[in-house]
Amino acid sequence: MQALRMLLRTWRGGQLNLMIWSLVLAVAVVTSVSLLAERIERALTAESSSFLAADLVVRSSKSIDPEWIARAQNQQVQSAQVLTFASMVYHQEDMHLASIKAVESNYPLKGLLRRTTTPFTTDPSLIEEIDYGPAQGEVWVDGRLLPLLNIELGDEIELGEIRLKATQIVVEEPDSGGSYGAFGARVLMNVSDIEAAGIIVPGSRVTYRYLMAEGASGSDGFTNYSEWIKTQLDVHDRLITPDEAQASIANTMDKGRRFLLLAGSIGVVLAGIALALASHHFASGQTQQVALLKSWGIAANRVRSLYIQQSLWLGVGGSIVGLLVGFGFSELLIAVVREWLPISLPMAGARPWITGLATGLLCLAGFTLPALWHLPAQSPLAVLRQDVQVKPVSSAVRGLFGVAAVAGLLFWYSNNIYLSLAILAGFAVTALATIVIGLMLLRVAKTYGQKLGSIWRLASSNLWRRRSQSIIQMIGFSGAIALLMIMTVVRTSLIDEWRWQLADDAPNHFLLNVAPYELDGVRNLVTEQKLETAGWYSMVRGRLTQINGQGITEEQRDKHESFRRELNLSWTAELPEGNKLTAGKWWDELDLSGDIAPVSLEEELAGELGLSIGDQLTFSVGGLIFKARVTSTRSLNWDNMTPNFYFLFPEGMLENYPRTNMTSLYIPPQQKLLVNDLLRKYPTVQVIELDKIIDRIRTIVSQVTSGLEVMTLLILSCGVLVMFAAVSLSMSERLQESAILRTLGSSRRLILGIQWVEFSVLGIMAGLLAAIGAEAAVALLQRFMFDLPFSWHPWLWLVGPLAGGLLVGVLGVGYSRKAVTQPPLQVLNSL
Amino acid sequence: MIEVSNISKQVTTTEGTLTILDGINLSLAAGETLAIVGPSGSGKSTLLGILAGLDTPSSGTVSLNGKDITRMDEEGRAAVRAETVGFVFQSFHLLPGLTALENVALPLELKGDNEALKTAAYYLQRVGLDHRTSHYPRQLSGGEQQRVAVARAFACRPMILFADEPTGNLDTGTGEKINDLLFELNKEEGTTLVLVTHEHNLAARCGQRLVIAAGQQVDEGSAA
Repeated sequence: MQALRMLLRTWRGGQLNLMIWSLVLAVAVVTSVSLLAERIERALTAESSSFLAADLVVRSSKSIDPEWIARAQNQQVQSAQVLTFASMVYHQEDMHLASIKAVESNYPLKGLLRRTTTPFTTDPSLIEEIDYGPAQGEVWVDGRLLPLLNIELGDEIELGEIRLKATQIVVEEPDSGGSYGAFGARVLMNVSDIEAAGIIVPGSRVTYRYLMAEGASGSDGFTNYSEWIKTQLDVHDRLITPDEAQASIANTMDKGRRFLLLAGSIGVVLAGIALALASHHFASGQTQQVALLKSWGIAANRVRSLYIQQSLWLGVGGSIVGLLVGFGFSELLIAVVREWLPISLPMAGARPWITGLATGLLCLAGFTLPALWHLPAQSPLAVLRQDVQVKPVSSAVRGLFGVAAVAGLLFWYSNNIYLSLAILAGFAVTALATIVIGLMLLRVAKTYGQKLGSIWRLASSNLWRRRSQSIIQMIGFSGAIALLMIMTVVRTSLIDEWRWQLADDAPNHFLLNVAPYELDGVRNLVTEQKLETAGWYSMVRGRLTQINGQGITEEQRDKHESFRRELNLSWTAELPEGNKLTAGKWWDELDLSGDIAPVSLEEELAGELGLSIGDQLTFSVGGLIFKARVTSTRSLNWDNMTPNFYFLFPEGMLENYPRTNMTSLYIPPQQKLLVNDLLRKYPTVQVIELDKIIDRIRTIVSQVTSGLEVMTLLILSCGVLVMFAAVSLSMSERLQESAILRTLGSSRRLILGIQWVEFSVLGIMAGLLAAIGAEAAVALLQRFMFDLPFSWHPWLWLVGPLAGGLLVGVLGVGYSRKAVTQPPLQVLNSL
Repeated sequence: MIEVSNISKQVTTTEGTLTILDGINLSLAAGETLAIVGPSGSGKSTLLGILAGLDTPSSGTVSLNGKDITRMDEEGRAAVRAETVGFVFQSFHLLPGLTALENVALPLELKGDNEALKTAAYYLQRVGLDHRTSHYPRQLSGGEQQRVAVARAFACRPMILFADEPTGNLDTGTGEKINDLLFELNKEEGTTLVLVTHEHNLAARCGQRLVIAAGQQVDEGSAA
């Protein structure tokens, strides 16, 4: 308890503030992001316990074999069919491309549906949990469909040929795994209405799910049945177990959580630097106290134990406050990104809190303990002689401990040694670049400062003399400012740049799922409006089943999505516009008469799938098998918004398989009603409105980056702490200089002026470094994420240095104002 | 109480070996007072450090309360300091974040004294600072700060009190008051007092005087 008492007294004396805040911020940054990630993950995983709405599911692209259902009935196993597809729904003039789910009345077999009659409510007392789906003639709809179609519960909506009454709002489905990413509002209907609606035609993009659960025959009966089902599956079917469903969500979320934590680690590194500086400063203030304790006969071991205990109390206390601040920030983050999150987020488990606490304690071990380690070795003789002072652990060794702590934390967050090392190397390169450029800037400032007035001369030589502190402050601020600028650029301009690079008349609508017998009608409708399409393409959906005679392995399926899903196969005589042959030969140079069809692959996909020219592929289209040989690879232009295909065949090869047609076209806003006419006449046609999708992406990106900006504010606070800690180190020197200057007759204005120039110049340099960093990061994002040509962001180069100069100037002068306000005599006496 | 036999102290510098103390002997019984006097740089503070067990001599022996501290390691000397010794310093050495009361109580608390605050309050009252217990060092004058330091030293009830130029940082009037306090408490508590000073007045009040010049013990007359 003595250690705690000593710590509390030291804290009361204000000597621990910087250390505590550094610790609090490091813990808060990590806790806030890991709480957010954990709560979203829990929301998704909680659902996955009943995620399948069954014990076992077969997902297929073809309709369920009636024999399966008959056998399930015979063997007293529960079963149900679920169909999902996109289709337009209407109410008078309003329409929406809804995400339709047709279920049998015994759906869900496992888990519960949650429904309400109060739109957008989160009040549990208004939400009903039930284990059956809508009756024939009824639909239960997503709350957001009501405003979209301008309807109320009780109104009828049109779906294909029929009208269905919207009677309930569906709040949650047990198996709505995809709902968070779905663009269309959910419409839940009874499967027996499907036929009358006439919305499913051969070739329609429908996902069939066959749900199975234990019935009257018990677990043995179910096991027998599921073993039998496994023997019935073909390449179009995929068996999904609850474990698998959970594993896939857990895997995705785990990646997300790691990404957020690694982003947060920038804050931890900055807070760590601040903590190391503050601890070093604290330790230098403790040497006299330790000498005194030892002169009283307190043994070195007892001193060490006292300081370790104090550090532990500090670590635990600071971490607890950090956890609370982190919780507050996670609530703020959730509020910002509310719209695209699941309605209710469960509370987090222990993991984020443990991660936060571990961060605090590891920071303490890496940054504070090394700074205090030498204290017990202080000689008691120091109470009599100032020259007898113990040497602190060398900065190199302390630096190593810090790096080890950061490495440990990175590994904890990422659970991947290579990723941790790569990020560590990234930090090191960034720091090195900051040091080199920072030193060059300081040198330039010193050279030119000498030629200016006395204020500039003194300020620039101060900056140079204390260059290691100046550089540390630059690292702290430039890192934080750069992050903030990157977020802002992404949120405000990158998405716009991406949109603007499209030509004004670039296609803004895709028409999909046009059946062969509808093609002429749709074509005429478009021509009547004097609109031009980017050309019509036919496509057949098929699955890749073999490569060079070898079946697709589990490993390959795990590796690439294209091995798991149906692929769109198309054909053309000419190389489409925007396509370039990168290897092999086009049809005109090939002999097309053989049994094996030639196929041209998109270059990147071929690389990802490990396919090269000459490889023989086997496809299954609705159970019909055919073979093809890779004869060429192509590069595509994705920016022209015309249909692009990964797999292209020559004409005459696929025409006999069930097919649908697609095109893209530009519909001017004044002719938008065409979409209405088209969909009324051809309800199975799918229209993708790119404008709306781009807007939706923009909203999501904007919200995510706003959320990240909240986090960046925390990181900026870490940068501020680095500065305060660095200024604290030189505070007594600053006080002494200022006192001497004032004793020599310098005015307060001069001293204040020196401080203003010193800190503002430092801030301008940090802002400049931040602009360099932000521009480089944005260039990488443009190149690799948005596929945009490089463009300058001149405002970064203006706002960065200006904001940096102002921020660092105000904070620095504010923090070191003591140097001006304290009477010189008092300062000199205390030295 | 203190037996010193032929101690010397040498240090190695870049210019060779430097003798700071050479052949010092003294003997001081319990309750007696000793002033170590001499010009600046004569080795007074070094001697005080060795006597108090803060430093070790290069040769010779020092026993405190019958224990030869020169044969002990730092841990052993620390144990002897803990049970035998108290200090008053020229620059007070109060902890700035602690109140006067806490400064006095700290060494007692570290010794596990449950009555630390009570004892501290008593000694602050003894030095006339009972109205300043909750003040921080920066809120006290130099004389008051040294009085807190004196209270802290006596609160631990040491057998021997070492004072290094206790009034060196104070004006004459205040210094006199501190001296009075030291001797008064010394008498009341029966402490053995060893002080280093420049001041003849103060030295004159001590029962014994040890005069040092250039590290060597000299006759009182020749040092003046």
